Amino acid sequence: MSFFEIKDLHVSYGSNEIVKGVSFAIEQGQFCALLGLNGSGKTTILHAICGFIPMTGSVVVDDQDCTRLNEKKRAQMVSFIAQVCGLQGGRSVLDAVLMGFNPRIGVLSFPGDKEKEISRQALREIGCADWEDRDFGTLSQGQKQLVIIARCIVQNSPVMLMDEPDSALDFVNKHVVMEKISNVIKERNKGGLITLHDPNFAMEYCDKLFLLKDGLLASSIDMHNTDETEIKKKMSIIYGDIDIINHNNHYLMLRK
Amino acid sequence: MVLIIAVVSICNGKYSISVNDIFNIITNNSEVSSLTKNVFFTLRLPRTFMAIISGVALGMAGCVYQIIFKNPLASPDIIGIAGGANLGAAISIVAFSSSAMAAITTGSFWGGLLAVLGVMAMVKATHSHSTATYVLAGIVINAMSKALIMTLKYFADSENELAAIEYWEMGSFGNITSSKLLSILPFFLVGLIGLILLRRQIELMSMSDNECKALGVRIRPIRISILVLSTLMVSSVVSVTGLVSFAGLIAPHIARLILKRNNATTMMLSGVVGSFVVLSADVLARTIYSAELPISILTTVIGVPLLVYFMVTAKKDRF
Repeated sequence: MSFFEIKDLHVSYGSNEIVKGVSFAIEQGQFCALLGLNGSGKTTILHAICGFIPMTGSVVVDDQDCTRLNEKKRAQMVSFIAQVCGLQGGRSVLDAVLMGFNPRIGVLSFPGDKEKEISRQALREIGCADWEDRDFGTLSQGQKQLVIIARCIVQNSPVMLMDEPDSALDFVNKHVVMEKISNVIKERNKGGLITLHDPNFAMEYCDKLFLLKDGLLASSIDMHNTDETEIKKKMSIIYGDIDIINHNNHYLMLRK
Repeated sequence: MVLIIAVVSICNGKYSISVNDIFNIITNNSEVSSLTKNVFFTLRLPRTFMAIISGVALGMAGCVYQIIFKNPLASPDIIGIAGGANLGAAISIVAFSSSAMAAITTGSFWGGLLAVLGVMAMVKATHSHSTATYVLAGIVINAMSKALIMTLKYFADSENELAAIEYWEMGSFGNITSSKLLSILPFFLVGLIGLILLRRQIELMSMSDNECKALGVRIRPIRISILVLSTLMVSSVVSVTGLVSFAGLIAPHIARLILKRNNATTMMLSGVVGSFVVLSADVLARTIYSAELPISILTTVIGVPLLVYFMVTAKKDRF
């Protein structure tokens, strides 16, 4: 059995079935992307895995069925980064990172010096060590996402889920954030699943792409063992008439 | 600041007590007359202490509601505590008598508590646990309470009962005694200690429900615990003082403007600011006019300029 496995996932809003039986698996240290057009069910799948919405099927992390766990235990297995960070200002960056310890400490307990040092270490790891005393609200959206990545590091869940964390970022910051996420997943041997709108970023940073169409898994691409002709063929299923350019082993998708 | 106003509160009233008298009473000096001691222990000390804990309850609960409902206009009224307590008091006044203080206190305490339980039952019936559902259920309970209060007022005896209902709605510390204070103190302390212990969870609840879940917050039990604890705290004080308006709304804003933070420390400072506003209002209520004025007039009169002052001075640093 794989490290992180989704089996026969179904999600409906009323009588409208959005996700119609999706199954896939991710190994430790593997960074994967869910790609698809608007309404294909990418975000819905992540929300279902996190327990935000009702679902049927199974979500197994490290041989443990997460669907049976309460919020606290599930957060010990799966962390989540939203499109736009909803955390308001009025607290320091360090306090924002310390929130990541919540799944691992008692309801009435407080993070101590040890946890603060781990948080500072996480901020150093993503290159934000100087921000710890800054008000979280004064950071740019890109900086906020980096702090949230640091929060995910201290949350220390074996699976990291990310819902278009680059959606509010400029070109440079998109690359900065994607690179940091990729490094964290590789270095800490986590299973990473991200939804992205731009397939070019997915091809650049991810090991495997899952292609969704109308709530079903249309195909998947192993970026390390697939040539550009095959990538083009599979990507065409969801993006239509496209071309794939290989530039020094970096793939770029263009619309014909 | 609160301590200074507390001393002023103990000294002022129809029977004056000097600072020396207070010192002598505390040090158990025999030079103080028994009348002064009597006034100190049976009237001024309970009244001052009650004003302080009322401010703490309203300020802290206001801050908690503004955080967990993500609404800067939230106050203890938002989930129907005020409406329920008001209805409970009105029923007791009409059913028993306008002078049956024990019945009015009990009625308003249970009215506030039942109103919040009604909100929770309504939320459960809708199968939606979003903050918006709690706020909407609070609006429903408040509206129902208002309709019933109006009905009671319509049928109330205009000489005694109607006047008593109106007077209760304006709040007063004039009838506070040590026995009343001691009867509500355990409920207040349970609420206060509970909220202080849960302050980290309250801070986490400032995020969206999904973000809370992703960080392992047990949303439903935590939200219910916070609501029950804050209701205990507010209902206990409101049951003996009547409604005290505005303090619960402005204290958190002033605390945030002072600290430039919106976390657990802000919640604590909201309690201190609340006690400052309510205590100052009570001192003015019994000193600026020959007859004692209702507390809600003064909390608004003191609170508004304070809020405007902090808004103007903290304009540049506001987050």
